[in-house]
Amino acid sequence: MFRDFGFIKPHNIVHPEIPKHQHLSPSRFASVGVLGYNCPREKSVMIYVKDVSVEYANGVRALKDTSVTISKGEFVFVVGSTGSGKSTLLKLLYRDMLPTAGTVIVDGENVTAMKPSAVPFLRRKLGVVYQDFKLLPQKNVWENLAFALRVIGTKPKEVHKRIGEVLELVGLTHRCDSFPNQLSGGEQQRAAIARALINNPTVLIADEPTGNLDPTTSWDIVQLLEQINIRGTTVLCATHDSQIVDGMKKRVIQLEAGEVIRDENKGAYQNSES
Amino acid sequence: MKIRVRIKTVNLRNIEFLIEEAFTGIVRNGLMAFASISTIALSLAVLGAFVLAMMGANHFTTEQIDRFEIAVFTVPGAAKAKADALADSIRKIEGIKDVSILDRDEEYAKFKRERPDFESAGLLGNPLPYALRVRIVKADQLTMLSTKIRALADVDHVNVGQETYKRVVALANAIRAISFAGVIILLITTAFIISNAIRLTLYARRREIRIMQLVGATNHTIRTPLVIEGIVFGSAGALVAWILLRLGGGYVVHSAQRITPMFGSFSSGLSGAGLAFWLLLAGAVIGAIGSLVSIRRFLKD
Repeated sequence: MFRDFGFIKPHNIVHPEIPKHQHLSPSRFASVGVLGYNCPREKSVMIYVKDVSVEYANGVRALKDTSVTISKGEFVFVVGSTGSGKSTLLKLLYRDMLPTAGTVIVDGENVTAMKPSAVPFLRRKLGVVYQDFKLLPQKNVWENLAFALRVIGTKPKEVHKRIGEVLELVGLTHRCDSFPNQLSGGEQQRAAIARALINNPTVLIADEPTGNLDPTTSWDIVQLLEQINIRGTTVLCATHDSQIVDGMKKRVIQLEAGEVIRDENKGAYQNSES
Repeated sequence: MKIRVRIKTVNLRNIEFLIEEAFTGIVRNGLMAFASISTIALSLAVLGAFVLAMMGANHFTTEQIDRFEIAVFTVPGAAKAKADALADSIRKIEGIKDVSILDRDEEYAKFKRERPDFESAGLLGNPLPYALRVRIVKADQLTMLSTKIRALADVDHVNVGQETYKRVVALANAIRAISFAGVIILLITTAFIISNAIRLTLYARRREIRIMQLVGATNHTIRTPLVIEGIVFGSAGALVAWILLRLGGGYVVHSAQRITPMFGSFSSGLSGAGLAFWLLLAGAVIGAIGSLVSIRRFLKD
């Protein structure tokens, strides 16, 4: 019925053909499947990127009319060579940048139409893991995690409980007093994943999380991401690591020069047909 | 509406957290804190020293002007009663602080000591008229009051040292103008230096600010601890500047007094507590404004 998300407002969806008492929030709208898009695996949609283009001031086009739909609970690898637009696509999701054209909807919120003051609240719903970890260097592991909780006003008692749980999940309880520069690359990435998980995010976005790690540690990190996915969190992971993508056999979206050239369930790093 | 409620809750619950963040930031960024505080301290000390020197110079010249007196001499041969009556008449004039009649014999004795040749000339008796020393309330009324006194009966001569007075007043005005311009220029320069020092501190922490944004901290949550830090830096710098000024200022005034006793009364007129208050206020305000202005650049999304 409605093939375009253009009419969606972030907090209220109203359409003259729907009686007022049936007006729904965007997330519920998506979950009941009335938006009319081709919903993969009949699940509710977590990430919807429609006809998105990103053009930099120097004229370089990082993304060209790209459309991607990711369902709740999926584990998706985004692959492609350097400059293919992987990081740009991820940055659009946590509103680190805005597209030149197109619409981005994450967990029912129209990220492109969002007011700047609402951006921090979007980011609290997402967990983001970076190649360079981005841990606060002046804080130890425990404080890095506590900071992410305290900024959203979590009570100190709840902070202690939650940090204990997450550190156990990532296997870093014994290093909670260490500062980032006292940790190995793998430990830093575990700390970064712990921070990304601390707010129970609906989506975990990982931008080349194994880029600075050796193969064994990389594999451990990806196993950890899979565990997190099994618990119900949607995971979107941009990577260059062919061994990991081939070993995991998850959905693979391949970008090339800003365009999606392949979207394959249980895909491999390289196109199986090539 | 939902988001608004959330922001309000965060504000109330997080005050303790934000203050804690500010002090953790200061302790963990010790070197940058030291650089900022020392820059602020030196800038405020230079500004403070200049302001104190200018206040002292103003105070000194005003005091010199206030010391100007009017010397009134009665007509030769006037009796003591006439001098008393003249003193009473002068006291009645508005703007007169006090009038004293100099002891005529004492003045003559002094005169004879200074000019023994007059004694040898065979002068008989005390030839001096009565002299009245008139102190006035406002130095700028000197000319007007001397004219009024001159018009009174039994007045032979009125001496106001008009030329010297004019020169001192012109000097005082020049000092005031220069000091005002100097304070303004130095104030702008100090504010610029301090805000630059704070900007450098924040620049060193731009990565930290960026990470805070990425984990979902609102601008308010990022800004508040950094503004508190700016206030703490400014106040700590002011405290150091105060110590420097108290020690250095005391030494300079003491040395000046030893060289020229005239500087015995050289003082800014500002107490130690008053100086501390103004320095702390200046430090805290410049620190807060410097932080606020600098953070704005880093918070632009």
